[in-house]
Amino acid sequence: MAKQISVAPFWGCMIPVKYPQMELSVRKTMEQIDVELVDLDQFTCCPDPIYFKARDKIQWLTIAARNLAVAEEAGQDIVTMCSGCTSTLLEAKFMLAEDSKLKNQVNEKLKKINKEYKGTVKVKHIVVMLRDDVGVQRIKESINRPLIGVKVGIHYGCHLLKPSQIMHIDDADYPSLLENLIQALGATPLTHREKLLCCGKGCMDDEMPLEMTYEVFDSMESVGVDCMGLICPTCFNSFDMGQILIARKMNREFNLPVIYFCQLLGLAQGFAPEEVGLHLHRIKVDRIMEMIGASEKPLEMVA
Amino acid sequence: MTQRKLDFSFREKLNKIVGGNHHNYCYQCGSCVAVCPAARFSDDFNPREILLKTLLGEEEDLIRSDSIIWKCTNCYSCYERCPQDVRPVEVIIALKNLCAEQGVLPGDINKFSETLIKTGRSVIITSTVNRRRQELGLPDLKDVNVKELQTIIE
Repeated sequence: MAKQISVAPFWGCMIPVKYPQMELSVRKTMEQIDVELVDLDQFTCCPDPIYFKARDKIQWLTIAARNLAVAEEAGQDIVTMCSGCTSTLLEAKFMLAEDSKLKNQVNEKLKKINKEYKGTVKVKHIVVMLRDDVGVQRIKESINRPLIGVKVGIHYGCHLLKPSQIMHIDDADYPSLLENLIQALGATPLTHREKLLCCGKGCMDDEMPLEMTYEVFDSMESVGVDCMGLICPTCFNSFDMGQILIARKMNREFNLPVIYFCQLLGLAQGFAPEEVGLHLHRIKVDRIMEMIGASEKPLEMVA
Repeated sequence: MTQRKLDFSFREKLNKIVGGNHHNYCYQCGSCVAVCPAARFSDDFNPREILLKTLLGEEEDLIRSDSIIWKCTNCYSCYERCPQDVRPVEVIIALKNLCAEQGVLPGDINKFSETLIKTGRSVIITSTVNRRRQELGLPDLKDVNVKELQTIIE
């Protein structure tokens, strides 16, 4: 029997508030592969690695250290669902390990709430946990409707891989993590020239973010993908809503479904699109369902 | 060409911010520019030039709410590539921290930070959020421990 995995999910802010369909897909799919999610109710925002960090790095680091200490106290490792949370928590771990003076400074602040950051907690993005702890074999065993013939344009986003010195996840220039996971679902990962381009969300400019999003779509369309597969709610925001903005402002319709990895996993495990919340996305997945021979509507919506 | 004025006191100010001191290692090779998406998509964003202005102490240009530094995508490609461990994105964030110290943050950042400090989350929970979560069969969102968050950043 496979070893039981038990982790504390760090949902972050974007997923539970704006995109709960992603949370739903994680809860459903993890159940299928015996990953136990132990919810801890003391986490706050990670905090975000762009806006809040821009205001005060020490405050940013202190709040991150508190979140890490919450998991340490509970004796649980953390699994993240968002690349931003992954980036903040892993960078905080890195900085606090690199600089003992900084660690003392942060722990002085945590003392006020009777907490201490020790540095023992592990943090992994869910796709990293799937690769390293669950394993491709176990994922394959959970699948009863392989996504045969579905060509997935992978978007890695920035914060999962870079800086590799901190993230230690994959080669930042030639990653294979998502390719292997997508293949495990029976789908075909397609490489494209802008696979590693930033979604643009962190850039405070009126035009540039959408231009970047456009380039990624143009690149994916040129190789003929059926949908986009990604792992970060911030990137999702750029691409799902972004397609509407591109159609309006740049007069081009890509019409590509944008799908969070655990939603793809859920489809391959036999869940209906509604059961992993895909009906809430702006670009629907009807064509994908036709491709995998599941075009009929399910009899009832999931409660 | 106008003559550039040197002001090393700015570097000392930056050195006090976490990660700000790494700007001293920059030898202006431009590796960061080659991998920077903001440089690719804009005519005026250039991380090597930001580092040069930092080294020269051109504070007036850098520390403003409409400074070019806000166009950084925060993608960490420069951190990945820099042969000198400058971690340019972290230097840029340290410059942003100086903007905060001097009260010249862009409005969006202030608003965002206030939400986070007041609620413990970066996204506001509207009345529709828990309704949607219920429709999906997910548990309601509880308030987070914002008191502890506020205490540790006092």
